[in-house]
Amino acid sequence: MHRFASFAIPKLRLRLPPRIEPCLKCALILGQMCMVDGIKELNQDLEVVVLYCQHGLCDEAKASAWSEQACGLSVRAIMMPCSSKIEVPYILRILESGTDAVEIVACPEKSCKFLVGSLRTEKRVEYVRGLLEKIGYAPERVGISRRLAQSPQELIVLAKARADAVRPFGINPMKKGEQQ
Amino acid sequence: MIFAEWKPLDELIDKLEPHKKVLLAGCATCVAECAAGGEKETETLAPLLRMALKKKGHSIEIVTATIERQCEWEFVEELAEKVVGVDAIMSIACGIGVQALAERFDPIPVYPGVNTSALTIREEAGIWAARCAACGDCVLGETFGYCPIARCAKSLLNGPCGGTRKNGKCEVNEDVDCVWSLIVERAERRGRLESLSILRKPKDWSNSRHGGPKRVIREDLRQ
Repeated sequence: MHRFASFAIPKLRLRLPPRIEPCLKCALILGQMCMVDGIKELNQDLEVVVLYCQHGLCDEAKASAWSEQACGLSVRAIMMPCSSKIEVPYILRILESGTDAVEIVACPEKSCKFLVGSLRTEKRVEYVRGLLEKIGYAPERVGISRRLAQSPQELIVLAKARADAVRPFGINPMKKGEQQ
Repeated sequence: MIFAEWKPLDELIDKLEPHKKVLLAGCATCVAECAAGGEKETETLAPLLRMALKKKGHSIEIVTATIERQCEWEFVEELAEKVVGVDAIMSIACGIGVQALAERFDPIPVYPGVNTSALTIREEAGIWAARCAACGDCVLGETFGYCPIARCAKSLLNGPCGGTRKNGKCEVNEDVDCVWSLIVERAERRGRLESLSILRKPKDWSNSRHGGPKRVIREDLRQ
């Protein structure tokens, strides 16, 4: 298990599936019967990539890259030297690879170490969202949050929120054999 | 720089739909400066097209390459190994680059990915403005460095049209300066306002597009 695995699962209203499989992770966190199938049904095994600025994190989160998988949500987090390093092709290549959503975590305005880095990123995200809309993809697949001192758990919550925004549109059509 | 903008994505997607393997070719000179056809834009457009076509049920292989200049044969030659096996090329260079690729790699179809529209300067990040119309008979020496052909909505040569706004903006577009207003202001600053009273005769357009397709021969440079 990854060292950042002990995050709190957001409270969800779940209809328990008829067949319940044991899940060590859920059992450990919730201390009750595993609800993995039910949560999976809601999350549709969504994959979210989180790109985060190294300056907007607490020390605990300062790992170059890590991944977390729980309850049907797969989160891959990649630390960037500054959110402004996240270029448009980079975001599109991630989506092209089949990732369902990309969440960018940038510093708030006036907190950016490179002054306008996070502002530029926000504009790029808007640009990408516009491009996605033009080709019939949900612009919600890319989002940005501007926060400081984020913990890994908080990053996962942001990823979860992004997954929630994308869920109505289904999984990424780039996944083989699937259609949006 | 030569200015170009992406064609509507739907148009590009329609063009590529019948093909299996396409080379998306960028140019690292003018169209890179106007953020339409450089390496970054090539690497942006390629995944976008793949995603759009996949969504429509077409699996297409798009390879990318950005060369220094698509308007120079020496650089165009660098694409020769990239076109092996492709059944179409999409160039996001200006119209010159598209034609160069079409000539060099005939009979592979070459589609333009951009609309080439002007000769511009970058006023500031994200803003480009026309500065030259390639008219073939430059008058900048008499108009204090402002081009009335490219920058006047009516390309007037003998002063403003009368529609200049009170704030010195063009009647056609309130965000654009009336170039004749700028010319007069600069002439005044230099104490040469009277030079603008000289009547200019009809312009000779024969050295521009109006004289037919242009072809220039310089014997001193020929091999």
